[in-house]
Amino acid sequence: MKILLYGLVTGMIFGFLLQKGRVLRFDKQIGALRLIDATVFKFMGSSVLVAMVGVYLLRDLGLAQLDLLPTVLSKNIAGGLLFGVGWALLGYCPGTSAGALGEGRWDALFGALGMVLGAVIMGELYSAMKEAAPWWGDFGTITLPEVLGVNHWFVIAVCVAAGLWVFRWFEKKGL
Amino acid sequence: MIPKNGKGWSPYVAGALSGLLIILSVWVTGKYFSASNSFIRTAGMIEKAVGPERTAQMSYFKKYSPAPDWEWMFVVGILVGSFISAITSGSFQWKGVPDMWAARFGPSPVRRGVVAFIGGLVVIFGSRLAGG
Repeated sequence: MKILLYGLVTGMIFGFLLQKGRVLRFDKQIGALRLIDATVFKFMGSSVLVAMVGVYLLRDLGLAQLDLLPTVLSKNIAGGLLFGVGWALLGYCPGTSAGALGEGRWDALFGALGMVLGAVIMGELYSAMKEAAPWWGDFGTITLPEVLGVNHWFVIAVCVAAGLWVFRWFEKKGL
Repeated sequence: MIPKNGKGWSPYVAGALSGLLIILSVWVTGKYFSASNSFIRTAGMIEKAVGPERTAQMSYFKKYSPAPDWEWMFVVGILVGSFISAITSGSFQWKGVPDMWAARFGPSPVRRGVVAFIGGLVVIFGSRLAGG
């Protein structure tokens, strides 16, 4: 019961921040995909860089664990391509469609209904897909520092430096 | 740093704050942010209401039990939080055809709705396949 309340409150703060950052809008999301508006990249990039430092700090202090999803190249590539096509048609991703509806953009509701139907179809195909599909490129739960064989803080430092450089480039270009 | 005009906050500031929120969430509950599973659970809840016996048999809904969890409440929270932010800042707008869409494809909400629906269907497939 308590965990549900945590979910609700965390979502409310996140939804508040997404709306304040103006990233829930179709024009911003499609603007990002058309490479004419970097607002979504700025929000996502800042969020990832901050979280990356904090989460690894918690892990090093023994206060949290990483929750890694397996890397399966065939699934990641096919899924990523489909996700991109769907995102471009809808203009919202699963999480932001809820937020877009919250600020009154009701076209997101049709997207959400499409997602529920997609989930119904997925449920019907689940067993067949799991057994029949020849999924190649299964590397299990790996991380970049492990694969490269370097300390994770080195990878984090490179990511932060690269991120800040990209942000500066956005500002220079007025994106 | 945080302009009080209709433009909202700097995306860098709002993004960094959401990064802090992720850290806090991982620390307190061990939960990382994700949303797409909640649409699976919603589908399961609807199927359960229609045909409870069949739904109980399906391996997909054994894995993703058709009931609210942290992630499902998180998505509900995003809707509520966005609504609070939009209403209190006067940026709530009841609108079914985005400007950029209308400029290219015209003002028809039906056309927009159909494409959004198809987009939603494809996006959830991609998201679940990739594991996101």
